[in-house]
Amino acid sequence: MMSGKGMDMRRVGRLWLQLFKVAILVIAITPSLLVAGDVASDGLSVDQRIAPVGQVQVEGGPIVEMPGEEAAAVEKPEPLAAPRPQRKDYPGVGVSSRAIVWVVAQMHLFFGALVLAVPLFVLVIELTGVFTRDERYDDMAHEFMKISLVGFSITAIIGGTLALALFMLYPDLMAYMMRVFRVQWLWYAFLFFVESFFLYTYYYGWNALRYGNKKWLHLTLGLLLNGAGMTIMVLANSWATFMMAPSGVDETGVITGTVWEAMKGPLWNPINLHRFIANIGFGGAVVGAYAAFKFLSTRDPKLRAHYDWMGYTSNFIAILAFLPLPFAGYWLMAEIYAYSQQMGITAMGGILAWLFIVQAVLIGTILLAGNFYLWSGMSRTEGSVRYQWMIKYIAAILVVCFLTWMTPHTLILSAREIATLGGSHHKILGPLGIMPAKNIAVNLMLVVTFLSFQLYRRSDKVATVSWAPVANGFMVAIYIVAMLNIIFVGVYYGYFTNTVYKVGSSVVQVASTLVVIIAGLTIDGFLFKGAKKLPSHWGRVSDRSQYALFALPIAFTWLMGLMGYVRSSVKTHWHVYTVMKDNSPDNFIPTIGYAGNMITLVTILFVLFVLFMFWIANISGVKQPRPGAAEGEAA
Amino acid sequence: MAEGRKAMQEKRMGRGATLVAVMVAFVVVLAVFYGLDHLVMGIQGLPLNPDLSPAG
Amino acid sequence: MTVPSKEKGAGMGVFVKAMLFSLGLTLVFTLVANLLPQVEGEAPVEQKVDLGSLTMDDFVALGENLFIGKGTCTLCHKPPPLGRAPDIQGENMMETARQRLADARYKGKAETPEEYIHESMVDPSAYVVAGWGKKGSNDSESPMPHVDKPPIQLSALETDAIIAWLQSKDGNEVTVELPSAEASAQVAAAAPTAAGAAPAPAASGEEAIKKYGCLACHALLGSAASLGPSLEDVGRRLSAEQIRQNILQPNAQISDGFTPDVMPKDFAEKMTVKELEMIVNLLAEQQQ
Repeated sequence: MMSGKGMDMRRVGRLWLQLFKVAILVIAITPSLLVAGDVASDGLSVDQRIAPVGQVQVEGGPIVEMPGEEAAAVEKPEPLAAPRPQRKDYPGVGVSSRAIVWVVAQMHLFFGALVLAVPLFVLVIELTGVFTRDERYDDMAHEFMKISLVGFSITAIIGGTLALALFMLYPDLMAYMMRVFRVQWLWYAFLFFVESFFLYTYYYGWNALRYGNKKWLHLTLGLLLNGAGMTIMVLANSWATFMMAPSGVDETGVITGTVWEAMKGPLWNPINLHRFIANIGFGGAVVGAYAAFKFLSTRDPKLRAHYDWMGYTSNFIAILAFLPLPFAGYWLMAEIYAYSQQMGITAMGGILAWLFIVQAVLIGTILLAGNFYLWSGMSRTEGSVRYQWMIKYIAAILVVCFLTWMTPHTLILSAREIATLGGSHHKILGPLGIMPAKNIAVNLMLVVTFLSFQLYRRSDKVATVSWAPVANGFMVAIYIVAMLNIIFVGVYYGYFTNTVYKVGSSVVQVASTLVVIIAGLTIDGFLFKGAKKLPSHWGRVSDRSQYALFALPIAFTWLMGLMGYVRSSVKTHWHVYTVMKDNSPDNFIPTIGYAGNMITLVTILFVLFVLFMFWIANISGVKQPRPGAAEGEAA
Repeated sequence: MAEGRKAMQEKRMGRGATLVAVMVAFVVVLAVFYGLDHLVMGIQGLPLNPDLSPAG
Repeated sequence: MTVPSKEKGAGMGVFVKAMLFSLGLTLVFTLVANLLPQVEGEAPVEQKVDLGSLTMDDFVALGENLFIGKGTCTLCHKPPPLGRAPDIQGENMMETARQRLADARYKGKAETPEEYIHESMVDPSAYVVAGWGKKGSNDSESPMPHVDKPPIQLSALETDAIIAWLQSKDGNEVTVELPSAEASAQVAAAAPTAAGAAPAPAASGEEAIKKYGCLACHALLGSAASLGPSLEDVGRRLSAEQIRQNILQPNAQISDGFTPDVMPKDFAEKMTVKELEMIVNLLAEQQQ
């Protein structure tokens, strides 16, 4: 057998070599063949024959210079400014172009976020499985990949549709963007090949590369998948941020810098960070909904335990990613203000200001749902009983802060209402409408959310180290002083000093919240080394709690849509801010009601597509029994 | 029985020591946050007086 | 694995409940968005101003409109404690301007209150009111955008209208002149009106040079005029930056044998940036 195969191999080898020689010959001969045929009867070489025409030598006139000596005195090409399309230059398809692109783009962003996030936490969970040698982690990681696999295709299909829509409906803008970003577009396209390669090898090779060194190879594939995905995201982000805060071009849009300069605008990294973190939270929320649904759909205690654990993990990922998100968003807003105070104020103090009240409602929903899920989960352990007295206070703080955050500053009032109120703003509630109050509210909400999180994590452990009381003393002190600091700094600098100090104080508040989180994680990390573990019952959680896991992705999705509305509207009537005006029929900022309807439309569409994605994942494990086989075949 | 022996073996802090430790913890944390206020406002170019009012 | 029909029924029930809950929550958010005050952000629309019949009152009213609308001034200039810029609506601007001019820190070029206001609009960092500068710049840099540049892009006429309103609103005398017919041609040229008679921006360096009448005084492109220095070798004598400055500020440097105040000083207002760049590029190539 072996020798037979070997002989075949040799014959194949010889054949291959012969083909190779032929190919070389062909390549060598062809140019000379082409050239040879061109030696014409007048004896001139090719170069001479294709010399530029138009050199007219007039008899007795001045000598005309021979070509090749003047370094082709061509006019310097006119610097190409950004195009200035007029209304008639925009193609119309009978439906608002902006609406079409809005829906398709937002869907692309939803799915893009999902398929970037899932491999990220899947990799972390897989690593956890390697270090704890607990098979359940690996299985869960695999399951997360399975349920989101179709998402990659959906992302790509919608991306293609988006490209089609953009080039069809906004050709001038897209021509300009292609000119600005030049070779970067090719890199972007190439990366899809790279990403697909790593996705398929990572997913389909899961069981083949399960243990030992092969596992490390598998993890590397996962890492590279994440790398490709992350790079795709930051490339695409640069287009969005260029449109908001252009760099690498001059005032008229003439390209003055390299592609890197066009990419690395002031808003690029803030958006990269914000989207990176938000994607993780979003991904966790979406897979959590899957787990909740599967949990509620079964009575089998083992399955319920499995999906309860899965839901908990998803919520953990979502909340953990969500906590630093406001800070990334703050950095983004700060950079927007630094780039253009006008743009910043349009967003937060001008026409779009009301939008941030809606944002408050959404984030309040997310935090309330996340906290509620954590409190409900305390029923899994007996050790939680000692902490349950704190829940009502945490809930009270959350509600008060939520209401404060929601309170608007400027109300539309009739003359009679103004008279009753005694002014255009309510004396007590008015001050709650401006930023200092809201910063206090959001920071306190994040601190108590972390507290819920920390209490939950502690409720299945008892510390055994001798210095436990001191550690807890520190922890309590940190919580109390941090909260007092947040309130003091917010009130004093917010209401009693000037604008610059007011704005700067919010960074102190953020820092205080971060101190709580970092201290909490660090102290608990050391405090519970060798801790006594109390029994914890996965699956022992109310059905009601699972609805929190539905609320999370809905609120997250709607919030993402809302933020997309801000990002786009903040450019007002510009395609590329200050460089290329928007003269399309839709060049106005739509009302928030219209935006809300569009966002709801896309949210519903997204939910439907995600359901399809989950259904495919489910059905791929279903095997229809052959007709005539044993009846009543069970799972 | 085993638990009792274990409790005797573990070093436990006395009540008084714990109270002192907690009070010290509070003072330390207050100092840390006071320093944090100065530091974070300072690096933004917003100096503070010792009583935390805006300086200059 | 097949799903027993009892569980399938339960699955359907859960599905419906989950969907209804999700839809309900989505509708809550939609409702919130629709209950809020609905404001549409309109893009500025070019308007024709009939300068022949423009009165000072109309001009002042135009200024007020611009202040609130295209100028986007009210975004930042609000009454305390909200404003991120001085409250110019509430203050008597002429008084304030005089005070600022008298300030020891004032190093700008304005001499009258009108000039001060104009300078504040087109070169905000020339003088930054104490306490309002960019964070960390120690009041040396203003966060205000230049109103004659994008995204605001007020024309000279619009800037004057706003100044007129700022002077008039506190009862002060308006020292701004009503725009002339020459400016009218400029405005008409800037606005893409349906009139059609307005000249479009030049499409090449040569066209721009002809449009602004350079050949009437300078020798170039076949012209033999000598009211101004010959430009046939200007690319050898001057750098692009110097050429640009000579166009925008003719009096900054006068060539030997020529007198100041002959070359028009308002090319900065008249030319588009692209036209200027094309002219500069063309002149930089003139190296006979």
